[in-house]
Amino acid sequence: MAVLESTARGQRPPRDAVGRRGKSRPHSPAHRGDAKLAWVLIAPALVGFLVFAAYPTVRGIYLSFTDFAVLSPPEWIGLDNYVQLLHDDVFWSALGVTVYFVLLSVSISLVVSITTAAVLHRLTSSTVIRGLIILPFLISAVVAGTVWSWMLDTQLGIVNIVIKALGGDGIQFLTSRSWAIPSIALISVWKQMGYTSIIIFAGLQTIPPTIYEAGRVDGASELTMFRRLTLPLLRPILALVVVLNVIGAFQVFDIVQVTTKGGPANASNVLQMYIYSKAFGQFDFGYAAAMSLSLFVILIAITFLQMRLLRASESDTNA
Amino acid sequence: MRSKRIASAIALAALAATAALAGCSSDGDSGSGEAGGKTVNWWTWDERQAASYKKCLPGFEQANPGITVTISQYAVDDYFTKLTAGFVSGAAPDAFQNSVPLLGAYAGQKQIMALDDQIKKTDYDLSVFDIGVESWKYTDGKQYGIPLDWAGAAIYFNEDKAKDAGITPEQIRDMTWNPDDGGTFDDIVAKLTVDKNGKRGDQPGFDKTKVATYGIGSLASGDFNGQTSWNPFVSTLGWRLGDKPAWPTKFPYDDPNFVKTLEYVKGLGDRGLMPKFGQLTVAGSQQIGSGTVAMVQGGTWDATSMTKIPGVKVGVAPTVKGPQGRSMISNSNANNIYAGTKNLDSTWKWVTYMGSEACQSTAGADATFLPSIAKSLQVAVDAQKAQGLDLSGFVNALNNGELYPAPPTANGQEIVDTIQPLFEAYFSGERDKAVFPEMAAKTQEILAKQ
Repeated sequence: MAVLESTARGQRPPRDAVGRRGKSRPHSPAHRGDAKLAWVLIAPALVGFLVFAAYPTVRGIYLSFTDFAVLSPPEWIGLDNYVQLLHDDVFWSALGVTVYFVLLSVSISLVVSITTAAVLHRLTSSTVIRGLIILPFLISAVVAGTVWSWMLDTQLGIVNIVIKALGGDGIQFLTSRSWAIPSIALISVWKQMGYTSIIIFAGLQTIPPTIYEAGRVDGASELTMFRRLTLPLLRPILALVVVLNVIGAFQVFDIVQVTTKGGPANASNVLQMYIYSKAFGQFDFGYAAAMSLSLFVILIAITFLQMRLLRASESDTNA
Repeated sequence: MRSKRIASAIALAALAATAALAGCSSDGDSGSGEAGGKTVNWWTWDERQAASYKKCLPGFEQANPGITVTISQYAVDDYFTKLTAGFVSGAAPDAFQNSVPLLGAYAGQKQIMALDDQIKKTDYDLSVFDIGVESWKYTDGKQYGIPLDWAGAAIYFNEDKAKDAGITPEQIRDMTWNPDDGGTFDDIVAKLTVDKNGKRGDQPGFDKTKVATYGIGSLASGDFNGQTSWNPFVSTLGWRLGDKPAWPTKFPYDDPNFVKTLEYVKGLGDRGLMPKFGQLTVAGSQQIGSGTVAMVQGGTWDATSMTKIPGVKVGVAPTVKGPQGRSMISNSNANNIYAGTKNLDSTWKWVTYMGSEACQSTAGADATFLPSIAKSLQVAVDAQKAQGLDLSGFVNALNNGELYPAPPTANGQEIVDTIQPLFEAYFSGERDKAVFPEMAAKTQEILAKQ
């Protein structure tokens, strides 16, 4: 008790010291004369934010209400772009294609990443293996897309050569309607999987081993522990991963641009691809801005819904 | 005091960095030349043509002392995006190669210059061109482009495979065609097709599911004008892309002759005589080089690359002779002058020099493009003949009126983007011929847009 008291006393600063500091130090940094330096230090980030994020966003919103062909000044047309969007079959088909891609790539990515992370967590602590797993994420999407489009080529691709050697018929991975989006989703999963796995792996490491020990004592199998302990405890991390993956997948563009360019017959014409061709191909920047804004609203709605459904801010450890 | 000094140092550094960044962003070498300057910047998307046109530089610079020309080449995938960025930032090249479908967008938005005043001022004679002038008149009736070249289709065939099938080069050069029985073209394609058991396409027992060599490379293209695929067939029936030669209001994809032709072309794939849509992914020259196909219909611009495939002897033939003779669409690229050029006089000199018989003959001799001037085309044909390549069919096409110019249209890119998926859906079997009236209606809608 005496020890405790003395420790507590020792941690408390002497009263007169507090009084002196209170007098000599002003309450806010502005009074310390550092405000100018602070503004200078903040300026690059602030200018960057205003010039590259805030202004383009506000201007994008404005342009979505205009007829803007980039080479002549925008002309205010009210809601015409949005009315056109409601009746644009290609837009709705592109949205459908994008949702199909998001569902495929996010679900496959989650299953593969959770499995990889769990295996890593339980079997190895090798940083080399962790490094190897994250490697595809470090490759540019354009390079990954190009290399995969060679490997999946109907005529010369190694994948089809193997399929044919095994007695199968060649598959038109990137040139048939049924295969285009699944193939692009698999390329995207291959590229993203390492990053997602490492985030989940980090989440796994925060789960105390004692919980598993308790599980074992109660006679739970590895699979039961994974289902009943690991997954619930990982939920905040998984929610983050799902939200990030969904947002990323909705914005897919680079892989599609280098593998299929939206074809065949619009089978892989994702929303970003359509927005790009409207803006930079047809100079219809006003309409493209309206589509971008719609995508933005869709993403906000989906993210909000996900956060609510997944109760992302809560962990089952508190329950 | 000290923090003030630090603040000033950082502010100075930031200023210096901004200035450096601004310096980086100005593309002095490739944009429009300086005011009153003597450097003309010219862009093309074709690296082989860039090399050919460089041969015109000594002649031009000798005739125009003090003017220098910088030729820049950007890959076609980036070319038009870069050009648009140039227009927006005011750094577009003084003059550049352009394609007919973009005339409407650039002239409509006043990014390229009407050249009538210059033509009048310098007495420039447009009649030197045998093709291409009409394609570059905008809806205001003014001339916006000085033609550079023309491009059509040709048939390239593997001479050894033709010989094995008992077909002479003359028979291929004289192929007839009609949409009902396919004429001699159909017979030749069937004979050239061989399955994995060695049976030819016209023999009993031919297995269309296991083809070793197809008679003809794919004619199933999503291209809205079918320049190197269906166009040289349907045009021989009198069909034209557009209800008018310029600024059409509709593309008659619903015409019965068009539908019949496309059904015939698709049928070649169903019969196993032609690869199906999406089946082959490599270029025509690689298809013929690998022996996967015996004959391909390609662009006139492919002539030099097709005929230089190592170990494969490739012959050149004109397109098929249909009920109304030979006919095909021709796309003429031209030089446009940027409306914001600060260097009009020098630029005009370079553009008109490129459009002269001297430059067209010098650059055209490589056959990397076909000159719009018949005399220069003859020079190109003679030069290639000396190297063993017979391009005389191209001269005949030009002289015999077998070409009709691609019509300039409004909203060209939107047409391309809208029509291509529908063609792809048709050729992949997703849609049947009912797609054609829909395509015609869509073109009508897009062409009517302002």
